[in-house]
Amino acid sequence: MSENAEKIVRLEHIFKTYYAGGNPVPVLKDVNLSVGRGEFLGILGTSGSGKSTMLNILGMLDVPTSGLYQLEEVQVDLLTDAELATIRNRKIGFIFQGFNLFPHLTIEQNVEIPMLYGRTDRKTRRERAHELIERVGLGHRFGHRPNQLSGGECQRVAIARALSNYPAFLLADEPTGNLDEKTGLEIMKLFHELNDSGVTIIMVTHNPDLDEHFDQIVHLRDGRITFQEYRKK
Amino acid sequence: MMLPSDALRLSLHNILLHKVRSILTSLGIIFGVGSVIAMLAVSEGAKRAALQQIEAMGIDKIIIYSQKPPPSGADSQTSRSIQYAESYGLTNIDLVNLQKMDNIKRVTVVRNVRKNVLKGLDRLDVKLVAVTPDFLEDSGSEIESGRWLTPADMKNKQPVCVIGTEARRKLFALGQTDVVGSLLRIDTESYKIVGVLRNDMGTQYPELGTPGNMVFIPYTLSEALFGSFTISKETAVPVVTQIDYDVFIVSVDKLEYIDNTANRVTQYFNTSHSKVKDWDIIIPLDLLKQREATQNIFTIVMSSIAGISLIVGGIGIMNIMLASVYERRKEIGTRRALGAQKGDILFQFLIETVFLTSMGGILGILLGVGISKIITHYANMPTYYSPVSIIAALLISSFVGVLFGTYPAWKAAQQNPIDVLRSN
Repeated sequence: MSENAEKIVRLEHIFKTYYAGGNPVPVLKDVNLSVGRGEFLGILGTSGSGKSTMLNILGMLDVPTSGLYQLEEVQVDLLTDAELATIRNRKIGFIFQGFNLFPHLTIEQNVEIPMLYGRTDRKTRRERAHELIERVGLGHRFGHRPNQLSGGECQRVAIARALSNYPAFLLADEPTGNLDEKTGLEIMKLFHELNDSGVTIIMVTHNPDLDEHFDQIVHLRDGRITFQEYRKK
Repeated sequence: MMLPSDALRLSLHNILLHKVRSILTSLGIIFGVGSVIAMLAVSEGAKRAALQQIEAMGIDKIIIYSQKPPPSGADSQTSRSIQYAESYGLTNIDLVNLQKMDNIKRVTVVRNVRKNVLKGLDRLDVKLVAVTPDFLEDSGSEIESGRWLTPADMKNKQPVCVIGTEARRKLFALGQTDVVGSLLRIDTESYKIVGVLRNDMGTQYPELGTPGNMVFIPYTLSEALFGSFTISKETAVPVVTQIDYDVFIVSVDKLEYIDNTANRVTQYFNTSHSKVKDWDIIIPLDLLKQREATQNIFTIVMSSIAGISLIVGGIGIMNIMLASVYERRKEIGTRRALGAQKGDILFQFLIETVFLTSMGGILGILLGVGISKIITHYANMPTYYSPVSIIAALLISSFVGVLFGTYPAWKAAQQNPIDVLRSN
């Protein structure tokens, strides 16, 4: 993968300014970024660097104050709330630091949720959920609920859930932040396996140790990109 | 947007997840609906009992009856040592005149013979009445065994009688049903019992009571034996009373003109009995209408109470749902991130509320039915729950869910998913 690959995500001159008590607080200042298909992008930044805002904009939970965001040739900053929800559902696979699984549902039911909002029929949902749970290595855990699983297993379920609607990219927010180092590495290994099979991944983290895993690495500091590098695989 | 079937399943799942809380939440609705159903059942039961009694007199009938006029000072009966006949009430002339009126199909007469029916030496509390054969039909009674008085009995003044079921109970030993053919002694005469009359409708006549407690003899026979005079020897000075008829049961041809007919009848009596008010009139249809009007007022009052209790219940549910929205912000945010639209969240919470209130409604109906059964059993009051009130309770409790669920659901849909991700 390289900078020559087909770009599925394109951010140009993204600015984001919040207003606190009437005073403008600039959070993102002229961010330019593109992600190629099949790329594994890491966005590194400390707390307050603007990486959460970056994540929200990439995940279409928030819109930039100015600038262009294009996802697979669609300019998303022009879309309505309902259209954004549909794109989130179909194109983005969210993975959270705290897993955000529903404790009262079985792992299959958790994996089915994005498909539920995508109006997939029941039979297809079941089959897809089973297939994905096998794929993340939890075939022996069918019918279990999240509280019966370890943290690493929960994150695997969350990854399976993120993959359920064949998204354009996975958007992971500190996916190893709640895990011990060994488990974290196993999760990173799973991300690599997925990436090798062609899944595009954008990961936001403060952990510089993960640096080595990424194809493209971006350092955010104080709302600006201070370092950007492509690595050949 | 989610498939509707999935949305329903999701909401049901969430409700069943917190069974105790769901029931506690619905408690206001449960008790509101329960008390309304119970109260309606009691009032409906009372209404039906009253209406049945009114209807039993026949809604196409006008009942006119003799009543003892109030004593007027100068004419005071007690001042005379020897009574001449005290004469009042419905007369033969009245009968003839009534029969000539328009829209009157027939007039069935009843005369209280005022003779004692004896069992051994005991006087029984039953009414001996003289009637014409039409009485059976016009009083809504049936023959249980034997036969009714026939025109031939009338013509030949046969010494036969028909007894009511209650009268039979008083006259004969318990369980003795084959009484037809027995002899009944009234004063000095013996009458052959030819039939037993049953009245299931609860018909009641003024001064006479129910037909079940009567002994019937042919009118012609009574006339021949006793005339229209009765001599009461219960006081020191015998009182002679002359009454031709005690009750007229007037049947009309066309029910729609019954009010008009009743007015004419009233007018006639006002004119012909202008000296003393020795008669009165009952129009069952009018009673029915009055009763229904009263019932309507009662229903309005009940509905207001029901409305208030449901509003209170609804506010309770709204409170809990608002708290639940706050508690479930993380769930809402995650769902939004995974692709739920605002509408999905809105419907999820709205359907949950409607489920809660509807289930509250169903439990309330069961509670109300239970309460009214208990009332029937212990307080011995008739209760009746109309299907309409049950369906209305269901619909209204669902509507309360929509009414009070909309705001919490809207609030849920407005939750900003960014806040959730930030709290990670």
